[in-house]
Amino acid sequence: MNAEVLQAPAVEEQFDDPTQQREAATLGMWLFLATEILFFGVLFASYTVCRVLHSEGFAVASRRTDMLLGSIETAVLLVSSSLIALGVRAVRMNERRLASWLFAGTSALGISFLVMHGFEYHKEYEEHLVPGLDFAQSGANAPAIELFFCLYYFITGFHSLHVFIGVVVIGVLAIRIARGAFGPRHHTTLELAALYWHLVDIVWIFVYPAIYLIGRAG
Amino acid sequence: MSRQESLSSATKEDKAEPPVTPLSHYLWVLAALLALLALSAGTALIKLGTWNTVINLLIAVMKVLLVISVFMHETEARKLTRLTSALGFIWLAMLIGLALFDFLTRSLVPAPWG
Amino acid sequence: MSAADPVMAVPNFLDRDYRLRAWLTTHDHKRIAILYALGITFFFFLGGAAATLIRLNLITPDGALLKAQTYNKAFTFHGVVMVWFFLIPSIPTTLGNFLLPLMIGARDVAFPRLNLASWYLYMGGGLFTIAALVAGGVDTGWTFYTPFSTMFSNTNVFLVVAGVFITGFSSILTGLNFIVTVHSLRTRGMSWFRLPLFVWGIYATSLVMVLATPVLAMTLALIALERGLGVGVFDPSLGGDPLLFQHLFWFYSHPAVYIMILPAMGLVSEIIACFVRRRVFGYRFMTYSMLAIAVIGFLVWGHHMFVSGQSLYASMVFSILSFVVAVPSAIKVFNWTATLRKGDITLEAPMLYALGFVGLFMLGGLTGLMLAAPALDMPLTDTYFVVAHFHYVMVGGSVMAYLGGIHYWWPKITGRLYSESWARFAAILMFFGFNLTFFPQYILGYEGMPRRYYSYLPQFQVLNVLSSAGASVLAVAYLLPILYLLWSLRYGERAGNNPWNARGLEWQTRSPPPKENFLEPPVVQEAYAYDQAAPNAGAPPNIGTQVSGGGPGGGTASGGGAAPTGESLQ
Repeated sequence: MNAEVLQAPAVEEQFDDPTQQREAATLGMWLFLATEILFFGVLFASYTVCRVLHSEGFAVASRRTDMLLGSIETAVLLVSSSLIALGVRAVRMNERRLASWLFAGTSALGISFLVMHGFEYHKEYEEHLVPGLDFAQSGANAPAIELFFCLYYFITGFHSLHVFIGVVVIGVLAIRIARGAFGPRHHTTLELAALYWHLVDIVWIFVYPAIYLIGRAG
Repeated sequence: MSRQESLSSATKEDKAEPPVTPLSHYLWVLAALLALLALSAGTALIKLGTWNTVINLLIAVMKVLLVISVFMHETEARKLTRLTSALGFIWLAMLIGLALFDFLTRSLVPAPWG
Repeated sequence: MSAADPVMAVPNFLDRDYRLRAWLTTHDHKRIAILYALGITFFFFLGGAAATLIRLNLITPDGALLKAQTYNKAFTFHGVVMVWFFLIPSIPTTLGNFLLPLMIGARDVAFPRLNLASWYLYMGGGLFTIAALVAGGVDTGWTFYTPFSTMFSNTNVFLVVAGVFITGFSSILTGLNFIVTVHSLRTRGMSWFRLPLFVWGIYATSLVMVLATPVLAMTLALIALERGLGVGVFDPSLGGDPLLFQHLFWFYSHPAVYIMILPAMGLVSEIIACFVRRRVFGYRFMTYSMLAIAVIGFLVWGHHMFVSGQSLYASMVFSILSFVVAVPSAIKVFNWTATLRKGDITLEAPMLYALGFVGLFMLGGLTGLMLAAPALDMPLTDTYFVVAHFHYVMVGGSVMAYLGGIHYWWPKITGRLYSESWARFAAILMFFGFNLTFFPQYILGYEGMPRRYYSYLPQFQVLNVLSSAGASVLAVAYLLPILYLLWSLRYGERAGNNPWNARGLEWQTRSPPPKENFLEPPVVQEAYAYDQAAPNAGAPPNIGTQVSGGGPGGGTASGGGAAPTGESLQ
């Protein structure tokens, strides 16, 4: 491990010292996370109302989702969350190479999540379960199934968009860590990115049972 | 060195950050998260009626609390950020709660005009 | 240091760099505030133009001026523009941006680049939405109720909704910025309960902006998706519920009205304290009230849905909560009144606006309580009674407070004094024009005239003509400030640091302030320390005469100026 010149954080002029700057940045990020909770929350609220109104139809629809893929995706995101947390920890311990690999690993797991989800979408398309594009189901539950899948695509679509943004940002940060842009006293950006990624994980933690686990016991 | 960074006593020099969390904490939490995942998937395959939903919701909440309190610990530890994270969920609960209250009480007493 | 000494050659924030590029890439919260003010004014007059069309059309019962669908587009235009591009941003992004760092003794907001990004989102979203509203328009009303907006309207719903979506992020980021600023950047000694009430108002507003606006964003996205895909969660044929939309929409849109009123309440406290020369009565209750309004305001949205098919029990709960939220507002009105009692009151233009606010807000608020009772709401909903109610609080309230604030801090922002007699005339004209426009609408609503109709029964004509006449007076009253304020930029007397002899950190620095806000650390006192002398601190005044003249105390070179009297500011 190279002996690093510990980087001094640059303090912007509105702040008095690095601590104030770091605390302001993290408070700002937490506030942003709160807005994301409410942003996704609308979809969860819609889901809750619709499911209360159509519990049987939603159970039938949920059985049409791919529980195996969904469970693997959940595991992938949970692991990626721990990787990025360990990555920030590594930077704080001045282990730059390890941190860079951990961030890269997080990004890679994010990509694998998106790929798996793509397979899900493809399969659902082939089964005519895409409202607005190609939806053809029959039976009394067909409207509720269509409603469920509307929510499914909206929720997982917005979530995947957030995953994609995270993948890109974290990937770039992995490269920047390797190039020495961060150090034990200067890594607020990494903490903020990790917070964002944890939020992406948290949203999925709620998505998983809501979408994949209703009515599985038939 | 206290892990709490108190805003009101911020001084001019750069305060040292709290000590690094041991690796084992993260690994145990990951193990717990994956175990909870297996539990929710497993119980979903057993017919428990409404309890399936309750269990799944509780497991989800536990997972989220683990992620927030351990993975996000360094910044979460401040009272202010704890309040902020709670605020988002509380507000969402208000939205879902009151809206559901409407939908669930509709058939009880029909509106006078309908 | 006396006035005769040469002034330090520090440029103020306006003089520092004249190039357009410097303005468009600025990080200075004061310049961003002015950029916002230009946008706000532009959108205000656009919304006013739509209102003109509406009031012209309503002069005759047959609505001869506009076709029905054009009329629908006109009131939609008016609502969308006035709500999202004028009222919600107005005070926070202009006076809030300018004053917040100054009032807490900071050099800027916490995230200056984010602040600039907010302005670009606002202007971009705004111009995009205006383009969509003009090129084809939207006829759903600013409330976008489904299923009309998602399925049956043949207008630019998707584009307008997209534009508002973009602008929503401006709101979120501004609120976020302000919250972090107040938490992190208060200067030494500026504890929470020494903050001016305007800061508390902005803080409470920012909480609402951050927690409510994301819900609007996703709700609008759901409309757009349903329109684009032809299917969605509000679709009754799938088992969705149009009322779900209303719940989601009003969860944002009711707190949105508190975004409009809380900063105004903060402004009014500042102005009244200054022109009564004393502390605001019940300071702590004022702060708790604003926070209570911000929080409880999230729990009352169902009062917009009493006749939509909402369950009776839910309506009862929302009604009770709506009565509860009126209590903190009432406390504030009582406290302003108590502040006035036995005070040394002078009636400069800002004070006229502030007093107008108190009276008109009270009327508007009381009629809101009437509407909060479902039994009364039944005949009154969707009539002009509702229109009158919300214009009383939003225009008689927020807009008057905004103008009061513009006048009050005009010397600080521009370094110039406006013409007091013209300002007073405009304020009184506005009060008169406003009441002539909107009071008849209470009666019209009570008599049963529906809102959002391009024509009406002949018996309503007299009151409609009165209302339209009032609108023309109001239009003049809004144009006047533009004229004399712009005139003052060139020809107005130069202002000193503290022409009103007010208290508050912003009055301890120059007019206009330098870019870094304070050349010397400001002296923090208790809030509204009018019983103490103004702190003799800060930079020496900039070039130009201090306010002097007949008032007691005389003009001095540093710190406090003359006590404000009517004549001395002419």
